[in-house]
Amino acid sequence: MEEYVLICEDSIDGILTGIYEAYAYKKAHNIDSHDRIHIYAGEPGTYRLFTTYEHIETQQDKVSKVSDTLQRELGQEVYYFLCLAMSSYCEDKADAVYHTVVSGLKHHDKNVFARLAEDAVSRAFSYARGANNELLHLKGFLRFQELENGILYAKIAPKNHILNFLMPHFADRFPAEDFVIFDERRMLFALHAKHKQWYNYSLAEGVFDEANLVFSEEEQAYQELFRHFVDKIAIEERNNLSLQQNNLPLRFRPYMCEFGKSVVIK
Amino acid sequence: MCDIIIQTNVLAVKMLTGKICRFGKGAVVKMISYVTESMSIMDKLGILSDAAKYDVACTSSGVDRKGNGKDMGNCAAGGICHSFSADGRCISLLKILFTNQCIYDCKYCINRKSNDVPRAAFTPDEVCELTMNFYKRNYIEGLFLSSGILHSPDYTMELIYQTLYKLRYQYHFQGYIHVKGIPGADPMLIQKTGYLADRMSINLELPTADGLRKLAPNKHRKNILAPMRQIQLGIQQGKDELMIYRKAPNFVPAGQSTQMIIGATPETDYQIMSVAQGLYDNFSLKRVFYSAYVGINEDKELPALTTATPLLREHRLYQADWLLRFYHFKAEELLSEKRPNFNVLLDPKCDWALQHLEQFPVEVNRADYQTLLRVPGIGVKSAQRICGARRSARLTFEDLKKLGVVLKRALYFITCSGKMMYRTKIEEDYITRNLLYQHERLPFDRDGMTYKQLTLFDDAQENVPLFATGGGR
Repeated sequence: MEEYVLICEDSIDGILTGIYEAYAYKKAHNIDSHDRIHIYAGEPGTYRLFTTYEHIETQQDKVSKVSDTLQRELGQEVYYFLCLAMSSYCEDKADAVYHTVVSGLKHHDKNVFARLAEDAVSRAFSYARGANNELLHLKGFLRFQELENGILYAKIAPKNHILNFLMPHFADRFPAEDFVIFDERRMLFALHAKHKQWYNYSLAEGVFDEANLVFSEEEQAYQELFRHFVDKIAIEERNNLSLQQNNLPLRFRPYMCEFGKSVVIK
Repeated sequence: MCDIIIQTNVLAVKMLTGKICRFGKGAVVKMISYVTESMSIMDKLGILSDAAKYDVACTSSGVDRKGNGKDMGNCAAGGICHSFSADGRCISLLKILFTNQCIYDCKYCINRKSNDVPRAAFTPDEVCELTMNFYKRNYIEGLFLSSGILHSPDYTMELIYQTLYKLRYQYHFQGYIHVKGIPGADPMLIQKTGYLADRMSINLELPTADGLRKLAPNKHRKNILAPMRQIQLGIQQGKDELMIYRKAPNFVPAGQSTQMIIGATPETDYQIMSVAQGLYDNFSLKRVFYSAYVGINEDKELPALTTATPLLREHRLYQADWLLRFYHFKAEELLSEKRPNFNVLLDPKCDWALQHLEQFPVEVNRADYQTLLRVPGIGVKSAQRICGARRSARLTFEDLKKLGVVLKRALYFITCSGKMMYRTKIEEDYITRNLLYQHERLPFDRDGMTYKQLTLFDDAQENVPLFATGGGR
């Protein structure tokens, strides 16, 4: 049986447009089931036989239509969880989200993520959970460094695209601070000026050079103080490096001052 | 407030003069290394976090407070771990003592007055500066402030109160504060501090009054339980007031916790669990922490310094604690006078299930939530997911795996649509053998501290001879 694949942009907006187009596509081509339609975020690695591929342009009006419907029909909580799933790094996230949405809308189920026996729902759930776990990790493991001009600067390299989920947390926590979070993997900045709304800013590779940053005088002292604290707070008799590594995976450590060798991490 | 500041200045002057001699009984001169003003903040932080590290609680959970839009800080209900130290414990709060000078002589404590250790004291401003700057860099979730007893409980509590007051009203800190209540301090001071802190805790120190009398001669059970009750009533009253007045001040919104030392005195696990259950039921505590005794001081009343830290015992107690709090178990179900200690080889829930095989197997598609919770291998989350998922589908073992059920443990106790996963006997010996064969994953397994090394000392029964002969040499 012929299958249809819609290829959309790898972003929340892209996938939401994809969902809109998938519904439209089903109607236009008289396809009997949503199971035969798939959405792919980004170019697929392999192309299959007996499959029609189609590219989708992201369109803002369709994005807002779909997101309004989802929020209305499935509720804020489910919508937030779907967004987390869409920001996952896993390849078939778009398809899992799409079929979860189909199931939710079909059954008018505001508790669609409870239907874990369904394959698409369980996949979307695990992607969302993965992204959420990394989000929770980074809320704690992210480290700000104070620049000379008082701006706080942090660098992260998350697997999932969670920068924009991280920002509301820090904007709420530091309303009166200027701060920047830099996602190294995606060359994307999120900026927050004191008492203002935060926004994204992306740069072409090579434009931003971290070596030009000048850190404040105190910065080094506080990093050393914290390193000293982390060192002293451990009970030697209970040393357990594997437990430490379970709780704090190595991939986070290059960005954390207490594990860095150099004084100011660059 | 004013005279305290003067007193702290006097203290600073004392500190400036360097070493102060103290005359003990019988004119034996005892040198106590006193604080000097020249001490750098780095040294102070080193000494005072080193002294605070045996405090177990480092949780920042229990209160959800959004930022107020102008000051720094908010709180997340689940708590946030900011780092993990080399012993694998979470670092969430800046855990420090205000001072490690102490007039008490609790035998197990590193800061007891008879120990010759470097002493230091922060000033309230130093604590505030450190907290704010660490918080700003996202190193910590807030402050954990405890203290040795300087001069008197009242004096110490007043100092702590001053510090918190500064932090909240001068530095406008909105993050998490966990503070220790000092037993024996004026109830008024505890009350005032409670309005500034998110969580308060008063250490029970040892599970029974006997142990306390023996190891902490300056502390009394009564003095510990009285402020605990006060805080409990305060929290309840605060909640009642909040129902009427929206802007009533919040008293210890994240609740109170306590901790006790395990393995320094010969209590059984059953006694300890009963105490914990009593605290949860009668004092509405949020958490009871168990701290495996780490030998620091040599004393004839204490286990020998060479005694291994009873990590496995602590682990079993925490497992049982979870069963009390989230799995609707009672201490009497898990242990009894006849079986006063936990099984070393099996976790408490497996152990319970094996004793009650007549209640199994359980049909996953039909059993109620409470029953599911009692199945080994099914936790709170997976039980909730099962209850959600079976509304729209009939669950199979394949589904259970996806829901997060640990099938290798659960398979002996459940059926899906009337069928067990494999042909298994429902026999205690058979299941025990199979469960043991799989090797439980312990958090301290890989570094070689398995139960094999611990069995000698982790059982209180076996510890009895040690105490009878006065373990210290």
